[in-house]
Amino acid sequence: MTFDCKDLERALVIPELLPDAREHAKVCDACRRELWLWSEMSSVAPGLREEWETPDLWPNIRETLAAQQKAAKRRSLSGRFKTPFDWRIMAGIAAALAIAVSIFIVKYSGPAPTPAAPQDSDFLTEQTLKEVEKTEAAYRASIDKLSRLAQPKLNAAENPVAIAAREKLMVLDSEITNVRSTVNHNRFNAQLQTDLAMLYRDKQDTLKEILQHAQSPQ
Amino acid sequence: MPLAMAAGRLTARSDADLIQASKRGDLSAFEEIYAAHAGRMKSIAFHLLADRADAEDAVQEAFLKIYKAAGAIQFDSGLGPWIYRILLNCCYDTGRKRKRQAESPLAAEPPAIPNNVPLQLAIRRALDRIHPQYRMVFWLFEVEGFRHSEVAAILEVPEGTSKKWLFEAKRELKRLLTESRA
Repeated sequence: MTFDCKDLERALVIPELLPDAREHAKVCDACRRELWLWSEMSSVAPGLREEWETPDLWPNIRETLAAQQKAAKRRSLSGRFKTPFDWRIMAGIAAALAIAVSIFIVKYSGPAPTPAAPQDSDFLTEQTLKEVEKTEAAYRASIDKLSRLAQPKLNAAENPVAIAAREKLMVLDSEITNVRSTVNHNRFNAQLQTDLAMLYRDKQDTLKEILQHAQSPQ
Repeated sequence: MPLAMAAGRLTARSDADLIQASKRGDLSAFEEIYAAHAGRMKSIAFHLLADRADAEDAVQEAFLKIYKAAGAIQFDSGLGPWIYRILLNCCYDTGRKRKRQAESPLAAEPPAIPNNVPLQLAIRRALDRIHPQYRMVFWLFEVEGFRHSEVAAILEVPEGTSKKWLFEAKRELKRLLTESRA
């Protein structure tokens, strides 16, 4: 075919026409320049790619995802423990624990701070702190006792509720350890003590439900 | 690099395996997906947002959405196009937010191309002056190395449209570059 300048655009769409276009370009400066520019755009384009290091990007994503997973797991675990509690079976243990809990909570609203203690309402006085720690130790001992009662039943069971309970206890124990470690560095902080009490309370409820579930007919 | 090559650079685990493992909470599987695609995602996001911090935010947001939506993925068109579609949406969201916060410098008329700049820089400037759809196809095909079938899947257009838009993009660029160098 006789290739003309006006055919150049068609040749750029239809690859079969390109050899003719190149032949024509040998004698036509304008078409040679256009052909060169057309192919040069493709050669140069990959150099436009932007690359830079982002060492924090994946750790940030991983951290966010891990936090979301943990939150979802906790939501799911607390959702599984909504079964009614049988007071007739657990009355003895519950009564003992209720006394311990009452003492523990009452101590938070105890006497006014002593002059030597920090004045901020978020902080405990030395005297109150001693009482809280004493009560907490008693409370912890009660929960450990309950835990010893529940553990064999929990280890023996392989049903979904028991598996979920084991996972929840692991999470709770881990959080109790974390909060206790923080409390050790900030013993006067009432908020931390309250958080710790709530975790113990959660653990206590979980253990009660394990015992109740173990005694109910399958 | 085409998606198939990017996938080949991974381990023996297929995209489907990786996404299934991710759904089960396996973050190391998800990290493999990240490693295969993050570089190109950052480049595309930077192209659209013209700011590295914004681009990183968009990529992070995209990966969080990808992880969350992993259960819903359809493998008809592969993992890649789906990932990049999510990224583009995140970039458009970020762009819209930024536009609301301040007048975007990109919204202003791009400056004309001086005739003495290197071709690569001239192309970069000319790209700002062409139709956004043509620009996107040029970027995905010529800069990022996707195939037309992949570009079509990402932009959810027929493959023929991807080819046509690429041609239009190059024709526009050629016109702008020829004008500036005349």
